[in-house]
Amino acid sequence: MRKTVIGLNLSYFNRAAIGVVLGFISLFLPYISRDGERSSMVSTALSLMGAEGGSKITFFVYCAVLLTAVSFVLGVVNFFKTTVAGVKVWQCVQAFATAFWTFLLFASKNILEGAGLQTSFLNKYLGIGFWIGLAAAYFGLFFIMKVTQTNPGYIALTILGVIWLFPILWILLTALRAEQGYYVGYFFPKGLTFQNFINLFSNKSVLPFGRWWMNTFIVASFICVINTLIVLMTSFVLSRTRFKGRKGFMNILMIIGMFPGFMSLIAVYNILKGLGLNQSLMALIVVSAAGAAMGYHVSKGFFDTIPKAVDEAAIIDGASRLQIFTRITLPLSKSIIVYTALGSFLGAWSDYIFPSMLFGDKQSSYTAAVGLYWLTDFRRIDTYYTQFAAGAVVVALPIVILFIWLQRFYVEGLSGSVKG
Amino acid sequence: MKTEYKDRNFITIFTKGDIFSKLSYIFCGAANVRNGQIIKGFLFFLLEIAYISFMIFKGGHLLHDLTTLGENTQGMAFNEALGIYEMQQGDNSMLILLYGVVAIVISAAFAAVWLFSIFSGENARRNKAAGKHVNNFIQDVVSLTNENIRFLLLAVPVAGLSIFTVMPLIYMILMAFTNYDSEHQPPGNLFDWVGIKNFNTLFAASDRLSATFWPVLGWTLIWGFLATFTCYFGGMILAMIINSKGIKFKKFWRTIFVFTMAVPSFISLRVVATMLGERGIFNVLLQQWGFTASSLPFLTNATWARASVVIVNFWIGVPVTMLMVSGILMNIPGELYESAKIDGAGPITMFRKITFPYMWFVTTPYIISNLIGNINNFNPIFFLTGGEPHTLNYYKGAGKTDLLVTWLYKLTKDSNDYNLAATIGIIIFVISAIFTLISFSRSNALKNEEGFQ
Repeated sequence: MRKTVIGLNLSYFNRAAIGVVLGFISLFLPYISRDGERSSMVSTALSLMGAEGGSKITFFVYCAVLLTAVSFVLGVVNFFKTTVAGVKVWQCVQAFATAFWTFLLFASKNILEGAGLQTSFLNKYLGIGFWIGLAAAYFGLFFIMKVTQTNPGYIALTILGVIWLFPILWILLTALRAEQGYYVGYFFPKGLTFQNFINLFSNKSVLPFGRWWMNTFIVASFICVINTLIVLMTSFVLSRTRFKGRKGFMNILMIIGMFPGFMSLIAVYNILKGLGLNQSLMALIVVSAAGAAMGYHVSKGFFDTIPKAVDEAAIIDGASRLQIFTRITLPLSKSIIVYTALGSFLGAWSDYIFPSMLFGDKQSSYTAAVGLYWLTDFRRIDTYYTQFAAGAVVVALPIVILFIWLQRFYVEGLSGSVKG
Repeated sequence: MKTEYKDRNFITIFTKGDIFSKLSYIFCGAANVRNGQIIKGFLFFLLEIAYISFMIFKGGHLLHDLTTLGENTQGMAFNEALGIYEMQQGDNSMLILLYGVVAIVISAAFAAVWLFSIFSGENARRNKAAGKHVNNFIQDVVSLTNENIRFLLLAVPVAGLSIFTVMPLIYMILMAFTNYDSEHQPPGNLFDWVGIKNFNTLFAASDRLSATFWPVLGWTLIWGFLATFTCYFGGMILAMIINSKGIKFKKFWRTIFVFTMAVPSFISLRVVATMLGERGIFNVLLQQWGFTASSLPFLTNATWARASVVIVNFWIGVPVTMLMVSGILMNIPGELYESAKIDGAGPITMFRKITFPYMWFVTTPYIISNLIGNINNFNPIFFLTGGEPHTLNYYKGAGKTDLLVTWLYKLTKDSNDYNLAATIGIIIFVISAIFTLISFSRSNALKNEEGFQ
């Protein structure tokens, strides 16, 4: 490169320029190539202007053409007079151009058919010019970002973020959709309403969703408290005290854990029947609490990191082990308590297999998970799809809020589980 | 008499103890009573009486029935006194098996109490002989909050585990050796011990069942590896992008991805399953956007369904790995990267030579436990495809995307072939155990090394 500009890394300038020039050339290469007939982006844009009617998103084509051309011009300008601000503007324009090229990948059919230029268009009829243009747009953007020393990771994060949020956006939109039914031929609803949520909680005779939600909430709250206590007690004993059979006990727990859990559900069901607990929510709490000790690993790993000297000092001061547990170990382990509680709450909140086996057809005892699954059965999905979506939102919302709020503790617990 | 000796164990307490020690082998708590722990001694004795009377009146009978699993089939039997045929209540093999297991577990629990009482008596005797203080009952109870805290804190977990985990597990393991299938359903029919026949039918090459078992096992293993490694590398790359220098609003980006993780998986999976349906939104949009002219068989064609399951699992699993890896990535010493940069290494070389070896070293145990978890991963399969598409080549119920666990679930819930389900459960256990052993031997090997260099 001929010169240096502070704040820019001009060694990538040539490659950025190649990308932009290629993008500009591709405007004149075939955009559509079908049955031997070809038409470039520019000529397509011209005939779109002449066409009557047309789709609302026809401006995508104009924008793509214009922005690519502008970006080319800016590239030339920057070649002769390179300034930080100039390149920043260039980057901005190129980013928009890239976005519109990407939109065209999804919108071409609509635009071309809307204007009557094509019928039953498929993306395989897109010509070489389009693909070169698309690739060149990303190539150019990538290297302009390199020039301005912006991390090109933003491109990947944006694309991935859209993909990751797509299903969540869909379920939110469905929950707010006024038109009922499973099959709709469009993504954005034609009318928005809160009626789905209201229906969910009002017509009790058909769908006792409010009851399901309360069932889940009650069970999950109890399990959260009881399981957390049990896990903490178990891991305290296994971590802070030494006794004969400690290793043996841990090995037994590990071996039990290697059997698939619901293999023994039938037997559990029969035992519960013997105890007279089947078909009641108590059963869920009891069974979950009974197996809670198996999840001691993470909190034990955490307790192991608390120095032994702390305990020894307390013992010299006359504290009993129970006092050490309640007054010293627990206050030191806030993050692991939150992690365990969150984990047990989540587990209970979304448990499906056991409640579904336990309650069978007794709908009034369903938990939200069982109820929602029941709603997506193919016989009911058409009637209840929007209500299912509303239910999913109502069930997921508390968890999402809890999770985002307590993310920090969760991450600490997760990395703790890796350390061993 | 000599009261102090070394290596006290179960046998030496008897051979070298006094008469009360010897007596306490038959009458639990005798040594405790002799040495001043009267209440404790009597409690042990009461427990013994309770157990013995249970065995005489009930348990012995239960254990005997366990060997036969019932002999009287339900049906019409001739009542000679009345001279008519009447409905006879038959034996219920399932309950016999269950109660037998209960009796076994109670016996095991008593054996533990028995051993405990012997050692407890011996302790009291030794303390008294040495002239030390012997705890009275109140002091024993108080000691539960201190040196014996394990009994206090582990009582509930152990009781819960024995009743709701160990007992059912023994029951199911025993079931693998019976013929409790859809044709031998109590109370109408009896089932019986058949030895290892179930394993033979599953493994033997000619049967329809084994023609289902081996492909399902194969797909389970393929799925396990694919699911683990796609999520592992995907999450690692995502974490590296988010944590790389120059990305602003790291927390915002992380939260976007955490969203999919925060939504309970049964919801997101059901939602995606409805989206992937023949008339679901994916097919609608793909046709509207002109990618395809007819709807794609995302969940109805075996190959498509398998790919869909892996991809959707990727969507759910990547954020988890991303969060986990983020912490570890920050622990990699920054000097390594700086010196690599000076030596002219590009980002790919740095990943291959620094990041990846470090991550691999730290996370091997995590990967293996993740692999085991994925082999047993019920949710993605069950909520997405339910094991479908079905095929005629498989034993009833099993489909092309079924894992061993989901097949097990179907065998218990839909077709009531409990013996096969139990057999598959044991096979899953063996697979998990093998991977755990590999993990253990590896982490032991690593501990002996100098660590990551």
